[in-house]
Amino acid sequence: MKRKKKKVNLTHLVFIAPHMIIFIVFIVIPIFFGIYVSFTKWDLIGTPQWVGLDNYKEILFNTKSTFNRQFFDGLKNTVLFVIFNVPLCIVVPLAFALVLHIRPLGSKIYQLVLYLPTLFSITSVGLIWIQLLNRRFGLASVMGAKVQWAITMPYAWIALMIMTVWWTMGSNMVIYQAALGSVPKEEYEAAEMDGAGWFTKLVKITIPSIRFQLLYTLVITIAGSFNVYGQPTIMTRVDLGAGPKINVLVQYIRSIAFGSGQSAAGIASAMAVILGLFITIVSIIQFKMIRSED
Amino acid sequence: MKKGFLKRLIAPAILGVICLIWILPIAYGVLSSFKSEVEIKDTRFHFIPETWTLDNYKYILENSGNTPIIKWFMNSFLIAVITSVGVALIISLAAYGYTRIKWEYRDQVFYIVLALSFFPQIINIIPLYKIVDTLGWVNKMPAAIVPALASVTNLFLVRQFMLGIPIEFDEAARIDGANDFMIYSRVIMPMLKPVMTVVILFTFTGQWNDLLWPSIVFNDVQKMPLTPGLQLLMGAYGNFNTAPVITAAMISIVPTFILYLFTQKYFLQSLSLSSGVKG
Repeated sequence: MKRKKKKVNLTHLVFIAPHMIIFIVFIVIPIFFGIYVSFTKWDLIGTPQWVGLDNYKEILFNTKSTFNRQFFDGLKNTVLFVIFNVPLCIVVPLAFALVLHIRPLGSKIYQLVLYLPTLFSITSVGLIWIQLLNRRFGLASVMGAKVQWAITMPYAWIALMIMTVWWTMGSNMVIYQAALGSVPKEEYEAAEMDGAGWFTKLVKITIPSIRFQLLYTLVITIAGSFNVYGQPTIMTRVDLGAGPKINVLVQYIRSIAFGSGQSAAGIASAMAVILGLFITIVSIIQFKMIRSED
Repeated sequence: MKKGFLKRLIAPAILGVICLIWILPIAYGVLSSFKSEVEIKDTRFHFIPETWTLDNYKYILENSGNTPIIKWFMNSFLIAVITSVGVALIISLAAYGYTRIKWEYRDQVFYIVLALSFFPQIINIIPLYKIVDTLGWVNKMPAAIVPALASVTNLFLVRQFMLGIPIEFDEAARIDGANDFMIYSRVIMPMLKPVMTVVILFTFTGQWNDLLWPSIVFNDVQKMPLTPGLQLLMGAYGNFNTAPVITAAMISIVPTFILYLFTQKYFLQSLSLSSGVKG
């Protein structure tokens, strides 16, 4: 601004353009197009036809519609999953990170083992779990399972949560480990002088010091839990067609838009937008919490 | 004294037991890949194979018709490698543009990108399919590769890391007559090694394990990557032909495991920087 004579330097565009173009084409346009489609009737092939709020009305209020039934079943299971999963995926990795932080003998190996499952795909780990849960020849048979756990309540939920925590908690654990590494040692020493026990130190020093990382993982874990797809998809593969299953919203959205029948992409988009609103509202509340804490 | 006791005995003992349980499913998977189909289906559950066999591995190597597991493995590998290299290049360039060059509204633009990336991905998956279809990419590798190049999480990570590199490095190079491209490639890039290692690990693992998106854009059995391929096998065989499927699953965990072993030492180091707290 000061030197108007100088030629405008556009070097920065060369650096950011490749990312920006891909970002706009494959992320920004789809978001807005997706919101638009939710107000239309569309089969993925022809031109979307504007229907106003019809899709939303059908999903939310038309109790005779299959979409309405699917939406509320999916929503119920998704919300239950969030409620079960979020506390587990914060507390369990935090406990492991705290124990690993005192550097017990062999902590490197333990760290590797605990992080290991997060490296693998849900189809790989899901396959193993289905075998272990099998009533006739899996580990479940040794434990005296009388029913097929993967499709019987409440076992299905217990199995789903154990598998999820086992599979995903490693990524939060490493974030906590990194955070604990940067808590100043002097604070602990000072507290010890005052005769503080481990619990006092945990509540008074550790938790406040890693507050930012705790809130960050909370936001990410909640958003991720609303988007759950892989675990129930693989688990419901057992005994195709039998028993009540845990079907989550993303599974319904996927099958309505890309399933074997005619695509109802408009309906699926409307469901996605509602799910998106849930995630956005919860995230905004959390960001507000982070702000007010500071 | 008390602390040493905890450190040397109690904590390792508890962790040891937990880790044994933790690794049990994977150990079971690995051991099962050496069992025959009959033995896996045996109602007397046992952990270790009674008769070790390599039949499952042979079956996978020889079968290329309707279950081309080796082909899927190669597809996944190419997708994951190309995406990782592409992300490393595109993200480091963008991060340079957002940190080392001064331009009007730079930080505002970055925050808009960041805010947009917080939009739930599920909304854009249907239109994304339409875009990819229009480009003629259905059943082709770019469908899995190109959308993944726009990762904002990685951009955030690398940008944070770059903000920690003192600007004096650039200034010194500029005095020596270097332009931005030389500074990027000769000064900044070599310093990004820890964070780039983690970005590559995340990208490779993410692509290798992705299920929802590839299961939508790949329906040709010969073209698909491993993860949706395995899902297809589970559907096709149900509970009937478990041994080869488990074996394929065990083969699929090898690349990400090896990559993690090589990148482990940079791991915590980079994550602590990404959180904005300097260690």
